[in-house]
Amino acid sequence: MKKFVDESWLVLAMGVVFAALLAATHTGLNDRIKANEVEALNQAIEEVVPGVETKEQIEIEETGAGDETAVYKCLDADGNLVGWAVQAAGPGFIDKITLVAGLSREGDRLTGIKPIKHTETPGLGNKIDVKDELNFYPLQYAGRSTAAPFELFKERVRDAKDTNRIEAITGATYSSQYVMEIVNDVITRIRPQLAEHR
Amino acid sequence: MADEDNGSNLQQFKEGVLSNNPVLVQLLGMCPTLAVTNSVENALVMGAAATFVVVMSNLITSALRNLIKPHVRILIFTLTIATFVTIADLTLKAFMYKVSLQLGAFIPLIIVNCMIICRAEVVAIKNGVGRSLADAFGIGIGFTLALLILGVVREWLGSGTITFPFADPISVMPAAFTANGHNWIIMILPPGAFLTLGVVVGISNQIRARREKGGAA
Repeated sequence: MKKFVDESWLVLAMGVVFAALLAATHTGLNDRIKANEVEALNQAIEEVVPGVETKEQIEIEETGAGDETAVYKCLDADGNLVGWAVQAAGPGFIDKITLVAGLSREGDRLTGIKPIKHTETPGLGNKIDVKDELNFYPLQYAGRSTAAPFELFKERVRDAKDTNRIEAITGATYSSQYVMEIVNDVITRIRPQLAEHR
Repeated sequence: MADEDNGSNLQQFKEGVLSNNPVLVQLLGMCPTLAVTNSVENALVMGAAATFVVVMSNLITSALRNLIKPHVRILIFTLTIATFVTIADLTLKAFMYKVSLQLGAFIPLIIVNCMIICRAEVVAIKNGVGRSLADAFGIGIGFTLALLILGVVREWLGSGTITFPFADPISVMPAAFTANGHNWIIMILPPGAFLTLGVVVGISNQIRARREKGGAA
């Protein structure tokens, strides 16, 4: 026993001290980090649901694949419903992708999507992000009907607004597929539950 | 054990920045170098984070050097480095959220950056706090400098901008460069990273070779 303590006391002591240091840092900074995440979410919601002033979270029965699913009723300054925002997450090519999907008031159309957290391949998979007009992928979801799940195509179908055809970034990017699956999850599992919260 | 008295602390510092630069001479820490130099902002923040970690790691290792038994030293180095990388990660998430998302997984990967554990093993475990700190700052600044050079080249040619932390991107190329898609997108992609690094290491080798020839003559 003495030999054990002799050899390892420093490691154990440092372990305890560093653990305390990390706990203190985490406690001190956690509020700020959460605030940053909320701000990113609010910014995304403002981008995908036009006219929103405030939001209120609603409880839904069946959540999506990840437990990050959150559904918000989007209201304007007078408290009228202008749309819905769904934060949903799902597996991506590298790690989890979290995005916000905006739905119209009746829930029959997507008003847009915006990935808010992802680690997809720079220059390739990360074109799922809304950077500028060069990134057509997320912009093509705006205005699409939510009647049927989307399907991925390599051909140029981005302007086919009346169909459920989504154009992939390239034929080889899984990121396009994963984002589409998250959106499909939103429109099949979550959208039907919105009606009762109107 | 006496301190390795080959030169002063200032010399140790200068070596870390120039003649023993971790990226351009020792060719260590290539992974973050290639991955996060797609913008100046990312390069500088990564450099600052890595400098913080190597300074704290050297400081603690050096202060405790007489207590660290040889067969647990790697464990202790890793414990120390992991702790301070996590602190840096949390700090970035709190105060520079957007950049921390851009850097993504590469901040936690500082833990496995060879150059940091190398300094602990080669310098900090054998030298006093003064020498170890000089070394850590030298290596950290050398790393940041190398990343900065790559970041400037890649962002300039790849995006037509230069972005400093806490500021908006500064356009450094005429509007036609990016508007018509003439910017060299390859520079922001991995091949551009390798190409730029190859050229910069080549130039740095040339400069060092000339210096040595000049000194010997």
